[in-house]
Amino acid sequence: MEAEVVEAELVLPAYFSFKRIQSHEKYPKGQSSARRFKHLKQIIQAENFQNYPPDEPNYVNIESPPSMHPCKRICDITGYEAPYLDPRTKLRYANTEVFKIIRSLPNDHVQRYLSLRNAAVVLK
Amino acid sequence: MPFISQTRRQSDYNLFPSATPIVIDNGASYFRIGWAGENDPRVVFRNIVQRPRHKATGETVTVVGDHDPALLKYFDCTRSGPRSAFDSNVVYQFEIMEYILDFGFDRMGANGSQIDHPVLITECVCNPVYSRSKMAELLFETYGVPSVAFGVDAAFSYKYNQQLGICARDGLAICPGFTTAHVIPFVDGEPIYKGSCRTNIGGYHITDQLKQLLSLKYPHHMTKFTWEKVEDLKMEHCYIAPDYAAEARLFQNGTKEAEEKTRTWQLPWVPPAVEEGPSEEELARKAAIRERQGQRLREMAEAKRSSRINELENELQGLEFLLRQLERVEEEDIPSFLEETGYVSKQEVESAHAKAAQALRKAKGEPKGEQVGIEEKIDSSTNEKFPLINVPDDMLTPEQLKEKRRQIFLKTTTEGRQRAKQKRIEEELERERKNQEDEEQRLENPELYLEQLNIRYRELSEKVEQRKRLKTNGNHTNGGMGRGERLNAAQKERMRLLTTAAFDRGKGEDTFGANDEDWQLYKLMSKDNDDDDDGVDPDEAELIRVTSRLQEVDPTFVPKLELGLSQPVVEVPKFRPLTKEDFQVVLGVERFRCPEILFHPSLIGVDQVGLDEMAGVSIRRLSCETQEFEDRLTKSILITGGSSLLPGMTERLEAGIRMIRPCGAPICVFRASDPILDAWRGASSYASAYQFASQTFTRMDYYEKGEDWLREYQLRYTI
Repeated sequence: MEAEVVEAELVLPAYFSFKRIQSHEKYPKGQSSARRFKHLKQIIQAENFQNYPPDEPNYVNIESPPSMHPCKRICDITGYEAPYLDPRTKLRYANTEVFKIIRSLPNDHVQRYLSLRNAAVVLK
Repeated sequence: MPFISQTRRQSDYNLFPSATPIVIDNGASYFRIGWAGENDPRVVFRNIVQRPRHKATGETVTVVGDHDPALLKYFDCTRSGPRSAFDSNVVYQFEIMEYILDFGFDRMGANGSQIDHPVLITECVCNPVYSRSKMAELLFETYGVPSVAFGVDAAFSYKYNQQLGICARDGLAICPGFTTAHVIPFVDGEPIYKGSCRTNIGGYHITDQLKQLLSLKYPHHMTKFTWEKVEDLKMEHCYIAPDYAAEARLFQNGTKEAEEKTRTWQLPWVPPAVEEGPSEEELARKAAIRERQGQRLREMAEAKRSSRINELENELQGLEFLLRQLERVEEEDIPSFLEETGYVSKQEVESAHAKAAQALRKAKGEPKGEQVGIEEKIDSSTNEKFPLINVPDDMLTPEQLKEKRRQIFLKTTTEGRQRAKQKRIEEELERERKNQEDEEQRLENPELYLEQLNIRYRELSEKVEQRKRLKTNGNHTNGGMGRGERLNAAQKERMRLLTTAAFDRGKGEDTFGANDEDWQLYKLMSKDNDDDDDGVDPDEAELIRVTSRLQEVDPTFVPKLELGLSQPVVEVPKFRPLTKEDFQVVLGVERFRCPEILFHPSLIGVDQVGLDEMAGVSIRRLSCETQEFEDRLTKSILITGGSSLLPGMTERLEAGIRMIRPCGAPICVFRASDPILDAWRGASSYASAYQFASQTFTRMDYYEKGEDWLREYQLRYTI
């Protein structure tokens, strides 16, 4: 290790006196940790929240409902109020100059703008 | 103000007795750890872990939190992005959690064989039992903590502010955090989770939105927009507009207010070194050198030319002398006489003489008009070269016949060549004449001429495009649409030939190909195809000519780009030197567009209510009976959490909630005294209370009572 790295104590040491079991014993090298742990979706599924009475608050219960107000439509490129939708690219735009810009965008930019709104076409 | 982590190692760990709890605020953005009873956490750092490989040794090491980027050059960080233990607001990656806790305890100065203090750690609202039990297990097993308590950070913050007198015992806590936003009603000082509600939008999404918008707007500066930098930008410049539509209109109309609200970020930029125009002396010197070189070249060319002229003159003189001698000599003696000189006949000598004279004249630079006359002379001389042609066949011997045939062939080829040359000269003269006419026309009436040219250009381009479209339509059909409809003329012809050929054979068997003549069919078809191609050329050539003429004449003419589809003409970006403005990032609408997603998650595609409506949902869920009770709730609304630092939040929330509540209801919105640290401070003051120990659970409790009990476990906040 280089001197300045050691001095800055950047790296986590491998041994701690206050731990009963050290990390390298618990997590042997080579196994990817991602597979070891359940993601949130899996956790929620495993909990079986539907078995419990619906009155009690739990993680899934307290989610917010969809909005009652009408959806606000703003232009994808500029952020102004956008009453128009481009049928080819499905982007919202505010006026004709923005429309010209939209039509000259390369396709991956179009997809990125759409994915800002979570409206991109995802091919699986 | 960008948040700076504190990670200095504390040295007074041993001064604290075993009963003092350690308070941890385990947030998705920052991890804060400290002693109970104190005002500020001791150690604060970002809740992320990186596992790069050390370049020299190759081992994988762990780096927790923010760090000096300069030191990272010793590590290979390509495969290790920053990883968080959180998924939304729930801890799920306990290996990473362990690294973080290691780091936290280590910086607190922990030593000894285990952590001998009770620990109060925060979690999210209605944390799933799986996560809770894993966390408890981690603390009990690995760190040997004697007792643990779980609490909700928003609740601690509310209690703290209640102690400070900012909010009342009944009220609402609105907590926009890093990954989620919660609204929790408080009745009698206790949070009622039944009425709470959560939207999955937080500061993370705001920063992400800003980062993507800027990257799309300034693609060539994309590398400058790192996550940390964008977060700094957000904290410094973003604000919440009281009314989004009105602000957007301000910017759209380009008013002066909009100008003031626009912030510009100047990226580091070095102007290219401007070369001073070479000074006068430099110019003069260079010009003199060039002049001298030109002079030298001219002299050399002159010398060469004059020497060549001399040579030619000498040759000419020699030949003339020879000719004169020949005239004197008798006819029969010519061959023998000429043997010495190398010429076979008088005609050869004469032709050589003529050629030399011509070359001389060219060298001297005289007009080529005389060339025609000389050519004619050559013509007549070559005629005599083929003496046998005119002699009838029967008078010749077989060898002479062969000779005659060869001479005929040669003659026809030379004649053909001459004819071609003649035609070329005529064409050139014709073109010259036409050009001159054109010029005259242009000079006398420029506008009319221009119009005519334009019209002609348009006609031609349309014709060409149409033909192209017809042709390519046959080749570029999309998918397998009715093949028969899109064939162009050539292909139609081809099909016709094939079908008639097949049809003509007769109803019986198919005997196509038995005769050799059948295959001639294909020759016919391919010829047809070629003809079609050739036919286009004159039009295209005309088009090119007209285009070039227009470009010369009309400064405003822009040739229509020949694209397959009718797209609008895209201006080729002109290359000009990069200016200072190119390196400026303008933050105008983005300043208030990004935080708007807190109030309208649909802008990001999340189908949930925004902050102002959440309050309404929460009150509804409480299903409280009286109006008066609801008023009590809305009278004390506290905003806490990192994202609540955005300016303009309180006004907007107030306006939003007023829209939902009945007219005249009292609404008071307060911001927490320190939205970021209040959660930790609340927890700290809670943990230092006398009855804290009764709220914790020990390892024994955890193992004996089982998971169900853990699910039911809730902290009581008023003790």
